[in-house]
Amino acid sequence: MDRLLSLATMYELFFQKFNEKVPLTPEEQEQIKAYLTPKKLRKRQYLLQEGDICKSIAFVEKGALRAYTVDENMNEHVIQFAIEGWTISDLFSYLTAEPATYNIDALEDAELVLITRSAHEEFLKNLPKYETYIRLLITGAYIALQRRLTSNLSLLAEERYTSFTETYPDIAQRVPQHMIASYMGLTPETLSRVRKKMADRR
Amino acid sequence: MKTIQTIAIIGASGNMGAAISKSLAKGNYRLLLCANDLNKVQAVADEIIKTNPAASAEAVDCSVDASWEADIIISAVPYAAEKEVAEKIREVANQKIVISIANPLNETYDGLVIAPDTSAAEELQKLLPNAKVIKAFNTTFAADFATPVIDGKQAGAFIAGNDPEALETVSELVSTAGFNPIVAGKLAVSGTLERMQLLLIQLNMKYDYNWLAGWKILHQ
Repeated sequence: MDRLLSLATMYELFFQKFNEKVPLTPEEQEQIKAYLTPKKLRKRQYLLQEGDICKSIAFVEKGALRAYTVDENMNEHVIQFAIEGWTISDLFSYLTAEPATYNIDALEDAELVLITRSAHEEFLKNLPKYETYIRLLITGAYIALQRRLTSNLSLLAEERYTSFTETYPDIAQRVPQHMIASYMGLTPETLSRVRKKMADRR
Repeated sequence: MKTIQTIAIIGASGNMGAAISKSLAKGNYRLLLCANDLNKVQAVADEIIKTNPAASAEAVDCSVDASWEADIIISAVPYAAEKEVAEKIREVANQKIVISIANPLNETYDGLVIAPDTSAAEELQKLLPNAKVIKAFNTTFAADFATPVIDGKQAGAFIAGNDPEALETVSELVSTAGFNPIVAGKLAVSGTLERMQLLLIQLNMKYDYNWLAGWKILHQ
């Protein structure tokens, strides 16, 4: 029963978000559905490993994922988190077919909807509404990236953390602190000091 | 590094299913083994891990869940059971590679139960219109997987399908299994491949190859 229920809602959030950006007719929805790939990922499994070519954009129906890089000292640097309603990928690799520089893995068991490159190309050819959708998606990603860059360059650790928890309250609740520290470019010790200072003041 | 691919093998406790699972365990894949009898398929998974502790093989009791997780699905059930499997996994197999290994043989192994203008693979494609059905592993006997080099010669394994990227992925699987992959053409070639195996089965029974025989194309 549970399984039937989740099969029926496999693409629910995807189309909800799509329709918020660009309203679709039921026919268009069916047309898109035929090219989508449903994919489950268990906690700690990879969607993408660095060096491979990123073959799809993943929309998160359920669960949480992160994209990260690994430096030469084997330290992980979190680039992005994604929870329900978000998309995650190595856009550079997806759009250029060059090897990916990110790893993407699941922080929780996840249900995803994948848009593969061949589906992407098919949609661009035959569905003008998709072009609008993907433009808005990439615009959003660009804005987020710019904000993040500015925040990392110009804000103090405490300001960064406050801004993060205010912008992404759900992620701050669900993701381990050391990953949030990594995302903000702080050591876990620094983040922990910042949090203590903030708590003491309250 | 190539991202680890997850392969669901439906019917993994059968002769062919178990043979394919064991041989793919050599590659960089995560295997989800399903069958109606979970104990049987668990035994196959245990055997794989025992022989190769680095392998990733897990018994799963539901073909829908396994196919949902998978990047590649192998339908290793007899032709007669394929329709039921296809109906179960249709939604979750959307846009995925589904490998058809079945040969639609009759009960006495001397003919096919399918019309001359079609094949098991094309019938499966009709049942899974949004999947990328690829014919593979139908011209190799189960015993060949343990011995892909027969009498000093590597057996060939034919592949047919319509999606170039999927053909490439399945060629890699075939190489991992130890065979020489030969892309025979579009999915419509499957009928020929299935009839080739009917011939090999008949020859096997006539000349007693002990089910260790295969095809090899001689060429310059």
